[in-house]
Amino acid sequence: MFGGLHSPRPLPEDGALVAVAREFTPRVEAPTPTPVLLDLSGLGRLWPTPQALGRALLGAAAARAIEAQAALAFSRAAALVLARACPGLTVVPAGGERAALAPLPLDLLGIGAERLLLFRRWGLRTIGDLARLPPVALAERLGPDGPRLAHLARGEDEGLLVPTPLPARFETTLELEWPVDGLEPLAFLLSRVLEPLCAALAARGAKAASLAIELGLVDGTVHARALKPAAPSGEARTWRTLVLLDLEAHPPRDTIARITARAEPSAARATQFSLLDPAQPSPERFAETMARLHEWTAEGRSGSPQLVDTHRPGAFAVSTFAPPPLPRGTCETVPRLPRVALRAFRPPRLAHVALKDGAPAFVSAPGVRGAVAACAGPWRASGDWWDVAFSREEWDVALALRPGQASGGLYRIFLDRLREAWFVEGELD
Amino acid sequence: MSAVSLPALAPVPSPAERKRALEDLLRARRLQADAPPLRGEDRRLRPLATGIAEMDALLGGGFPRGALSEIHGPASSGRTGVLLALLAQTTGRGALAALVDPLDRLDPSSAAAAGAELSRLLWLRGPRVASEEPPPRTLADATVAVATLASSGLFDVVALDLAGASHERRRLPSTTWLRLQRLVEDTTTAVVLVAEEHVACGPGGAALALEAVALRWSGPPGPARLLAALAARARAGRHGLGSADFALAAS
Repeated sequence: MFGGLHSPRPLPEDGALVAVAREFTPRVEAPTPTPVLLDLSGLGRLWPTPQALGRALLGAAAARAIEAQAALAFSRAAALVLARACPGLTVVPAGGERAALAPLPLDLLGIGAERLLLFRRWGLRTIGDLARLPPVALAERLGPDGPRLAHLARGEDEGLLVPTPLPARFETTLELEWPVDGLEPLAFLLSRVLEPLCAALAARGAKAASLAIELGLVDGTVHARALKPAAPSGEARTWRTLVLLDLEAHPPRDTIARITARAEPSAARATQFSLLDPAQPSPERFAETMARLHEWTAEGRSGSPQLVDTHRPGAFAVSTFAPPPLPRGTCETVPRLPRVALRAFRPPRLAHVALKDGAPAFVSAPGVRGAVAACAGPWRASGDWWDVAFSREEWDVALALRPGQASGGLYRIFLDRLREAWFVEGELD
Repeated sequence: MSAVSLPALAPVPSPAERKRALEDLLRARRLQADAPPLRGEDRRLRPLATGIAEMDALLGGGFPRGALSEIHGPASSGRTGVLLALLAQTTGRGALAALVDPLDRLDPSSAAAAGAELSRLLWLRGPRVASEEPPPRTLADATVAVATLASSGLFDVVALDLAGASHERRRLPSTTWLRLQRLVEDTTTAVVLVAEEHVACGPGGAALALEAVALRWSGPPGPARLLAALAARARAGRHGLGSADFALAAS
């Protein structure tokens, strides 16, 4: 049996009627705030007669200050139309749907104004008038909509009930009897907040992509933090560690009286573990490690280096460290020649360079000083004239050994032609 | 007749429990470690090769896992070139590597030229300062970061670049390296220090002392000349028992 619940007056809030319906059954179809359709199958054990069940529905609505009208029928279409049409409670016995709908006006079927005008021109006034028309003739004139309307007018259902999912809001609040101070007692309380939250997420097959923590403080203010790890997680332990690490770095300024955790759900990670491919890092452990490095990550000093598409010397970018999954079967490394690397000085060190026959003969800069034993260059580079222009002459210089030194060192120096100054870019190592 | 008490039977795990336990093992990447070895299976962890044949031969295959190793040598002796070769080999296999760089010396172009897969390299950079020495606490924070990375089990190589910070390094407590060695002993991570002189090398770790031997240029002095290669010599162990010559090509 199905039930229709409708409120002819404005609702106190949009989901009020749905909330009433959910007190009776989780299978509620509510594309609009009113009317709503309930699947009442199996409730006969609690309410012996449909009338008792209907009265309970109206009573629950009245308890929420909603003036409602209800209809119970064995067809969804009939229950919905009758709930909108008839005040109070209407109960339709099995097989009586067509007769119950017949005297009602056509506009209750929820058909468009244009189609309603057409039916009025045909002389149709009630649902019964439409139900009497042959479906084939209606199909010839109205297309596939014709038979659908004919079935609806007879109180016959098409398709299946599509339950409206519960609103995806995952929030847990814990009001503390005694305020807590410090992170150690908070760790236990966080478990009490996060475990039901993660259980609720798991029940919906979801994980939390981000977590908002609000700590209500004794002084009346709220200490709010938002966490968004590299990968969604549904593990309460992981979230607790991340929250504690974040609160270590950003502690609340007063004792805590209330804890609220709100999760933003995301689809669970669909990863098939493999025995043959290289093991990939666990996203939970990965997020935990990055959170422990918060001193480095918070200041933007960590990540993956990235080359940028420019000829400007020393240009690079640093992106968030998120290693991509390995393509299957490509774990063999391509042998490469080992190379001399540059150890960059950032910023380049201002140098005094003495020239002899146009080539550097002596270099002096902080930490770098010596006569040039051998050099290669100059190599000119310029560009970015439309932005911050650069123009330079590069030299690789090997400095001569000095007493007490194990190595003279090999450095890359350059003459900035725009500033007319020499710099040491770095050490070649 | 005396009653005979039967020993309590251990509860038989349900298929769901067994599945969950198996998934936990897979997730913790301990399945292979906990399962009995297969016939002929070698459970010893392979050292991490640098890809420089002479160096790997000298080290007995590469830098050992679960140990503290070091590469030390004066300026321009090839320390960074060897380190980047190790990072290139590690990231090229699909593993993750981390470089803690308190003096912010890494040149990403050099790392890419060495063949490192940059998306698999985590780079922790020190604060940007104009002075030659890092600010106080930078090296202490860097060693804490190395400990965090090494104990996470996510990275095959965690490198700490101390070259150029000798003065600041001497302020670190002497137990720092002992603690770091203890921390990595039970992991599969190789911690590698890069410095100008000997710092620390744990038992089982590799100590590699480098020195520049010669510079090769592309031709006689003149405008078209290029740096061709840096020839260097590596000595393994505290007492330099073995040595190998190798060359780093200029970019």
